[in-house]
Amino acid sequence: MIKPVLECIGVAAGYVKGLNILNGVDLVLNSGEVVSIIGPNGAGKSTLLKAIAGIIKINAGRFYLNGLDKTNTPTYKIIHEGLGYVPQVNNIFPSLSLEENLEMGNQKNTNENFSDVYNLFPLLKERSKEKAGNLSGGQRQMLALGRALISKPDILLLDEPSAGLSPNAVDEVFKSIVEINKTGVSILIVEQNARRSLEISNRGYVLDQGRNAYSGLGKDILNDEKIVELYLGKM
Amino acid sequence: MLDQLGNGLLLGIIISVASVALSLLYGVTRIVNFAHGEIIALGAIMASFFSNLPTSRYIFLENTSPLGLSFEISLFLSILICGLFGAVLELFVFRPLRRNEFGNIAVLVITIGISIFLRHLYLIFASSKPQNYPLDLQRREQYFIFDLTPRNAKIIVYGILIMVLFGLFISLTKIGKQMRAVRDSTELANISGINSDRIILYTWILSSMLAGTAGIFQGMINDVRWNMGFLILLLVFAGTVLGGIGTSFGAMIGGFVIGIVVQVSVALPFMEGHTEAKNAIALAIMILILLVRPQGIFGKKERIS
Ligand SMILES: Nc1ncnc2c1ncn2[C@@H]1O[C@H](COP(=O)(O)OP(=O)(O)O)[C@@H](O)[C@H]1O
Ligand SMILES: [Mg+2]
Repeated sequence: MIKPVLECIGVAAGYVKGLNILNGVDLVLNSGEVVSIIGPNGAGKSTLLKAIAGIIKINAGRFYLNGLDKTNTPTYKIIHEGLGYVPQVNNIFPSLSLEENLEMGNQKNTNENFSDVYNLFPLLKERSKEKAGNLSGGQRQMLALGRALISKPDILLLDEPSAGLSPNAVDEVFKSIVEINKTGVSILIVEQNARRSLEISNRGYVLDQGRNAYSGLGKDILNDEKIVELYLGKM
Repeated sequence: MLDQLGNGLLLGIIISVASVALSLLYGVTRIVNFAHGEIIALGAIMASFFSNLPTSRYIFLENTSPLGLSFEISLFLSILICGLFGAVLELFVFRPLRRNEFGNIAVLVITIGISIFLRHLYLIFASSKPQNYPLDLQRREQYFIFDLTPRNAKIIVYGILIMVLFGLFISLTKIGKQMRAVRDSTELANISGINSDRIILYTWILSSMLAGTAGIFQGMINDVRWNMGFLILLLVFAGTVLGGIGTSFGAMIGGFVIGIVVQVSVALPFMEGHTEAKNAIALAIMILILLVRPQGIFGKKERIS
């Protein structure tokens, strides 16, 4: 049965008063799905995730989590409702140890021994006492994912998880996303690496200038010549 | 010079405690708090108000006598009041400012305003006369190479104890870790499910209690004055910046170094008759070190922005 876990209806939001970056975005994430958001740089993809997570104010439209209206709920409360979010930048605590980074993600003590995250990313256990600031880009991404997963979220928002990573690290990250999804987590993913991302997605949305430009099944988007030419050409 | 070493140690500990408090607040909230000196003075003045005998020559607000409580209870109450005052500042001033996204400079100017306002409130409340706590005079004794009264030796021991406890708190407890997380990134702390507003409130309380404690120490070795916080603030800033602003350990060491340098420089030959200039030496050293290491002795480069 299709059950929407996350829903945006006509969401408008921005960083400065009176200047919306998003101009009425609609989006649905159903239980168990992987959904991609793609689109050119500056389209508002990161902004949409920030609006969902309550980091910036939603000026118009509504946002629902599991059918309940959560528009403009404080960020920490949304997280407590089962949302995990890995931002595009600044997604680890550099002066904290790896273990402390994970502890910070575990505010409601939903996770007792971290073993599920350590199984997914053994590195996080091996180097648990090290400062997170010492990690390489790919390792940081794993830690950021681990920090979001430690609270056992039902929904995961990922903002360009493969950006700036080596090809090997990109493979690793996409592999873990698929694995995380298999455990029942619904995933909303923003990616520059649109082909890779659409390949593992049930559905996709194309965002352009703060508006929905197109949406459809992942494979349909990949096979749509016009979208490929407009948005995926260079990728 | 050696006889100044004990005094240097004392001043070092006091500046150190106050610097750790200033640095903690800056790290977590990014506020450069010019009213920090007045919170230091609040601790000292309240302790005088609580502890001095009603029959003493001190009068508060021109017709209120001090309360004559025991010195221990006075300490406890005034540190508590400092904590409460920190909470009031956060809840009624700085949280609303944050909500309205005031810029750093605007907030800085507001802390200067609060500082001036409070200082003159203290002038009205406690008068311009220096006050002392009702403590008996003690003879200096020899501790290792230091010449100190037993009470001042105790201040050093308690000061070190406070900093050890603070270090354990910030590195091992849940709230301490949350404070460090908010210091790294408030946004990511929220994203991790931390109520960063609550952590910032705790930070104001803790920072203010530490500042008040430093003020009481200062009042014990010197005296209590309406403008004592202002006088000491420059040294506290020097200590914080010297160690690397935003790092607790750096502030601890930086404050300590500044305190010792200020006190020991009094004994330098060319300083004879110019003891008022002792702060200048400390500040000169601070500037020299910062020219070589702009991020401070223990600061990391990326912290400076
Ligand atoms: N913190 C910010 N303050 C002001 N404007 C911003 C901020 N972050 C992004 N923007 C602007 O919002 C628009 C959308 O940015 P973003 O959502 O990051 O795009 P995308 O993630 O799709 O590349 C851009 O025009 C960008 O300049
Ligand atoms: Mg982006």
